[in-house]
Amino acid sequence: MSTPEGVTISRTGETGAFGGELLSVNFGPHHPSTHGVLRLIVDLDGEQVRSVKPVIGYLHTGIEKQMEALRWQQGVVVTDRHDYLSPPINNLAYALAVEWLLGIDVPPRAKALRVIMSELTRLSSHLVWMGTSGLELGAMSMLMYCFRERDTILDMNEEISGFRMHTSYIRPGGVMADATPRFLEMLDAFVRAMPGHVDEYEDLLTMNPIWRSRTIGIGKLSADDAKVLGATGPMLRGSGVAWDLRKAIPYSGYENYDFDVATSDLCDCYGRYLVRIKEMREAVKILRQALDKLPDGPVNVDDRKILPPPREELETSMEAVIHHFKLFTEGYSVPAGDVYVAVESGRGENGCYVVSDGTHKPRRVKFRSASFVNLQALERMALNHMIADLIAIIGTADAVLGDVDR
Amino acid sequence: MGVEALAESLGQNILTTTLGKLIGWGRGNSVWPAQFGLACCAIEMIATATAGVDIARFGSEAFRASPRQSDLMIVSGRVSQKMAPILRTVYDQMPEPKWVISMGACASTGGVFNNYALLQGVDKIVPVDVYIPGCPPRPEDLLNALMILQERIKAQGITPRQ
Amino acid sequence: MIADNLVVERGVSAGDAWITVDPANLRSALSALKDDGYRLLVFLTCVDHLLDASRNWPARYELVYELRNMETPEHLRVRAFIDGDPPRVESVHDLFPPANWEERETYDMFGVKFTGHPDLTRILMPDDWVGYPLRRDYPVGGEVVEFSEEHETWQTAPEKA
Repeated sequence: MSTPEGVTISRTGETGAFGGELLSVNFGPHHPSTHGVLRLIVDLDGEQVRSVKPVIGYLHTGIEKQMEALRWQQGVVVTDRHDYLSPPINNLAYALAVEWLLGIDVPPRAKALRVIMSELTRLSSHLVWMGTSGLELGAMSMLMYCFRERDTILDMNEEISGFRMHTSYIRPGGVMADATPRFLEMLDAFVRAMPGHVDEYEDLLTMNPIWRSRTIGIGKLSADDAKVLGATGPMLRGSGVAWDLRKAIPYSGYENYDFDVATSDLCDCYGRYLVRIKEMREAVKILRQALDKLPDGPVNVDDRKILPPPREELETSMEAVIHHFKLFTEGYSVPAGDVYVAVESGRGENGCYVVSDGTHKPRRVKFRSASFVNLQALERMALNHMIADLIAIIGTADAVLGDVDR
Repeated sequence: MGVEALAESLGQNILTTTLGKLIGWGRGNSVWPAQFGLACCAIEMIATATAGVDIARFGSEAFRASPRQSDLMIVSGRVSQKMAPILRTVYDQMPEPKWVISMGACASTGGVFNNYALLQGVDKIVPVDVYIPGCPPRPEDLLNALMILQERIKAQGITPRQ
Repeated sequence: MIADNLVVERGVSAGDAWITVDPANLRSALSALKDDGYRLLVFLTCVDHLLDASRNWPARYELVYELRNMETPEHLRVRAFIDGDPPRVESVHDLFPPANWEERETYDMFGVKFTGHPDLTRILMPDDWVGYPLRRDYPVGGEVVEFSEEHETWQTAPEKA
């Protein structure tokens, strides 16, 4: 492959600190350890990294353009697929943004169900992260353990929404359907079992000498650097900054739950790992509270202009048929204006900036993705480390390339 | 040992077959996929390799990082215009005989993303043997596709592609 | 404190406070806001108002800078309307490091030239790509789907105003 224009491989031939020449190495986009199709151009001095230049866009899907071509209620399907490890959280950002523009508020039961789905997703996202990062750093069995619990979560997704991964469960005006009794039973069993499983992961990794020596002191990112570079999520909290959107700018009723913001002062890969472990425990805590206090009532707003009427009404009410027809041929229009809503995903601040021009399709939808911004801190973290440590650093940055490239 | 006894014991231990069937049997039961994850489907591909579904039962647990060591490319996810030449390069690097599974709606047809950025079906650049519908397909779907592919490989014998 | 003479218009949209500044003063306004405590650039993007009848827009392209004060935590949206072919505006990558890639993305998708950016190249699309995909006169592309809604206009762009 020839070098694309604009990618400067400049430093080859310079003399390094050990008297040898610097060597530029291409890393990816097809590489087993880059968590997808990330490409890096790394300048190496012997084994030491002197500069890292990420090249992204290999998974650019045109999601923002696609949203402009879809009606408001159709867009939910596309939001699932940009950060594919946390679909309901993306749904939530989009749904909240559209609801802000429409000026509607969803019933309490819908809010609680949204919190439940968000936290389940956070768990499954962290589980995928831990499984794959463990695999890359030599802890193969982590993958088996983590995907075991992830499958339990996906079974719950399937029970509540009919689909394993891309649930499209949270949509403007409420949620797709009420939780079934079986879902609540499964959730209860899961919440009981999960703390024990997190203990298992900690048994395998926290005091594991290989894991510790490959992560402690690797990928240092000071709190100031993290703030300046705009990092969010476990990247920022792993540097000791207690910033969590669920606490700072609560949404969907998060202010009613009692949980701690996980932080670590280690500022390295191990710190970020500890933050994620703590977050998993906190997520279970939130799930327990949400399940115990789950309010009764409807799960959707009572507005026939936004959500279709119940199926049984279509057979008896002419008005319901008209609403149904209008909704599925033309959709609804949203008042002109713009709004930005940010939610805390497993990777940090995932936001949705929506501009409406008053028609039945959005004028512009911009996804603020945590991975895109966090990935810019990669060079700062990887500088002067060994090339093998780069794997640990990419791993704990936890960039999902679908989220980076959109 | 007498000749009769030798013939008797060998008689129970020799199978006769054609060379094509033997090779097909061997190839079909040791399909090594390339470790080529693209998007959402890649996560389900990983899930297929874990204990719950266990692709190792079908001899395909050895995901190879190098295309030179793999027989099967599972295109797991959407292929962007920028990724397409790289995907083709990976495919060209794989030794013959090689097979391709197009996993999921995006790889097969572009899926919900009918737009400028995506290749509308990976079969525009590489020949595909089995398509899997779904967005993303379940791990069981991938196993089913693998079994269909195995049947086909076994039937192909010595000369896999015309 | 941001000087009042920099602000052209202020308002609140769906609960979010915003100000509009003249594009020539954009950098000084953002710099003043940074000194006020808005230290995080949450995102930067552009909106193309081609054929948008919802308002009388001052120019075709609207640049949007979402700033956040992480202490309070207040949000402020800064807008600037620019025109021209290509539209030009001063880069702020040195004030807000996350703007580096965001500006490259905005250039890639809208063709907005950020003067003073160290490496203003395409970031998501291939380097030899022609056109700026998120402009409203760029077609969605893909393949025509028979019997689908608006299948004739799917691949074609709206006509020029």
